Amino acid sequence: MNPRLIPAALVLGLLAAIVVAPLAGLLNLGAMPGYESADLQFWQSAYLRRVLFFSLWQALLSTLCSVLPAILVARAFALQPSFPLRGFLLRLFALPLVVPAVVAVMGVVSVYGSDGWIPFGRSLYGLGGILLAHVFFNLPLAVRLLLPHWQAIPQRHWQLAEQLDMNTWQRWRFLEWPALREGLPGVLLLVFMLCLTSFAVVLTLGGGPRSTTLEVAIYQSLRFDFDPLRAVLLALLQLGLCILVASLSLRLQRLPEVEITVDAPTPTPGPRIRPFHLALILLAAVYVAMPLLSMLLDALAGPLSKVITRAALWQSIANTLFIGLSAALLSVSAGWFLLRYSASLALAGQPGRARLIDLAGSIVYVVPPLVIGTGMFVLLSPYVDVFSWVYPIVIAVNALMGLPFVIRILGPALRQNHARYHLLCQSLALSGWNRFRYLEWPLLRRPLGLAMALVAALAMGDLGVIALFGTPNTATLTLLIYQQLGAYLIPDATVTALLLLLLCLTVFWLLERGLGGRLDA
Amino acid sequence: MLEIEGLEFRYGERGLPGMCFDLEVAAGEVLSLIGPSGSGKSTLLNLIAGFLEPAAGQIRLDGVAIETLPAAQRPVSIVFQQHNLFPHLDLYTNVALGIDPSLRLTPTQVSSITDALERLGLSGLQQRKPGALSGGQRQRVALARALVRRRKILLLDEAFAALGPAQRAEMIGLVKSLVRENDMMALLVSHQPRDALIASARTAFVCEGRIETLQPTAELLEASVLPAVREYLGSA
Repeated sequence: MNPRLIPAALVLGLLAAIVVAPLAGLLNLGAMPGYESADLQFWQSAYLRRVLFFSLWQALLSTLCSVLPAILVARAFALQPSFPLRGFLLRLFALPLVVPAVVAVMGVVSVYGSDGWIPFGRSLYGLGGILLAHVFFNLPLAVRLLLPHWQAIPQRHWQLAEQLDMNTWQRWRFLEWPALREGLPGVLLLVFMLCLTSFAVVLTLGGGPRSTTLEVAIYQSLRFDFDPLRAVLLALLQLGLCILVASLSLRLQRLPEVEITVDAPTPTPGPRIRPFHLALILLAAVYVAMPLLSMLLDALAGPLSKVITRAALWQSIANTLFIGLSAALLSVSAGWFLLRYSASLALAGQPGRARLIDLAGSIVYVVPPLVIGTGMFVLLSPYVDVFSWVYPIVIAVNALMGLPFVIRILGPALRQNHARYHLLCQSLALSGWNRFRYLEWPLLRRPLGLAMALVAALAMGDLGVIALFGTPNTATLTLLIYQQLGAYLIPDATVTALLLLLLCLTVFWLLERGLGGRLDA
Repeated sequence: MLEIEGLEFRYGERGLPGMCFDLEVAAGEVLSLIGPSGSGKSTLLNLIAGFLEPAAGQIRLDGVAIETLPAAQRPVSIVFQQHNLFPHLDLYTNVALGIDPSLRLTPTQVSSITDALERLGLSGLQQRKPGALSGGQRQRVALARALVRRRKILLLDEAFAALGPAQRAEMIGLVKSLVRENDMMALLVSHQPRDALIASARTAFVCEGRIETLQPTAELLEASVLPAVREYLGSA
């Protein structure tokens, strides 16, 4: 028997416990307290129709407003392979990944709020604000996901296009669009899914029942209306939508029509610098940088000493660090054992099963955290005080949310390492701790450090399940910000948001460098 | 007649020695270029095609300078080792792009495509996509496109390197007759000395950014006294 099966099976069992058990709790409607079949008329209510429509509508608009400009910006980056600050701007576009949603919300409020640089007035709270915040996150993400498709165009094709005298339209039609077409549906669906399950942004910027999504409605039902049955029905609907979108994106992934190649990927040859391209890039960069800058300025002018002298702040900083670091450790260990097993499966000629294991790690894409949270709430509340279980639940769900990142960052390096050295290790009888110490740690510490840093930062910035289970004693910084916003203490919330951002970036930097080693090592 | 005179190329970085080429190719000739990798063979082809800009020197075709023309206006077609075809387009379209990238063709042009495909033994495969072809067939499509473009200069940048010996010889034979029939001239970069022997009466040996020697092929390959050539061929 494969010795790697046991830890992997334990992880898979844990995954099942975290995901499947709550789902079972959701489906066991008949056992719900206060259940009456009449409640099922909820399916036909105008409320549900409105929530469902708004969920899909805002997700669709957010997706189009993010991805369509991102195509132009990614194209501008691709066709201008060298200009000053190009690397810096691309790194700026990676930043929103680690910026907590509540921080982005404070930035959006700071720029587009009534005292901001570009005041939006009251319409900020509602669809307008939601779109602004979703584009802040997803435009840079889409740019970074789309850019490699241009880089995959062989340099020979650009040279042929030059020789065949293709104009801009013809280059787009014969070179760029065919390359882009493979990846675009996946990017569109991913962004759609992220916006459909977006919680913190809609919660804080939605501004009322008119603009409520399923994700937020679940929270309101559970936390304010004390109506678990409605929460469960909403969660089931949300789950159904997510499964639909996910299966669509699995089906749409077409096999690319490519020539088998021995070339290393080549940079595209640079045509002349086009002011239009640079203007596009600059515009997008300003859009991404503005909320962060404006928030920074607001926070520095804010009630700094008042905020940092509150005991509640330090309590939530401690909670945030504890949850973030525990989730990162749990997530990276779980990913490590899953990947080690899938790597050995792949080497043993079972790539299909290996892929299945990797996919299991990304289950959270299909089952949104709030759905899991609702399931746990329903499952546990008859037996225990769920509010005293907040740490294990939040840590587990955040670890689960980090797992897809762990698999994407660590997977390729680990598989390559395994394929190269497994036979050598066997012949030297290098195994267990020694194998980790001499082989895996030195070669894999860079991706391990990055994965750890990213999951910690994401977990620290997450306002999701904690909103369901958190109490003032167990609040994280994100929940504290939400409470400050709810009390209309916007200057306090801005200062706290800056502290959260600094904390996330510091922890990210420390973990990435501390574990990953120095760049020149 | 293609004349290359004092054609210089320098890399962006300072300190690297530049390249400088002098060469003449007669109409109807297939001239081979051999030499170690990195010696400048492909650079010379890219300079002729207009993908790279020379620092100095001239390229003349029948007395007319062409080195300042943009790549698209040069009397040149090039065939690479791979990526000559757009994988999502069928053979017919891949060839038609050589005439007009807007694909608006006159009936005469359409029949020239059919003729070219037939001449290269590809009739009946018009609707196929490159992925459904063998390596040799793909290079024939690239040659068909060069043929319909009716440009004087054909550059082959290791175009047949991925093919087996028999197929390579066959393709070279094909190139020779195409060049003769259409009054073209070809420059063939290859890593196989045997290719040069089949293809060319004369072969240039490129080394460290210049044409070290230009000789009758058999003489160069079998009796060269130049140490660089003997080292390259392994006959030292």
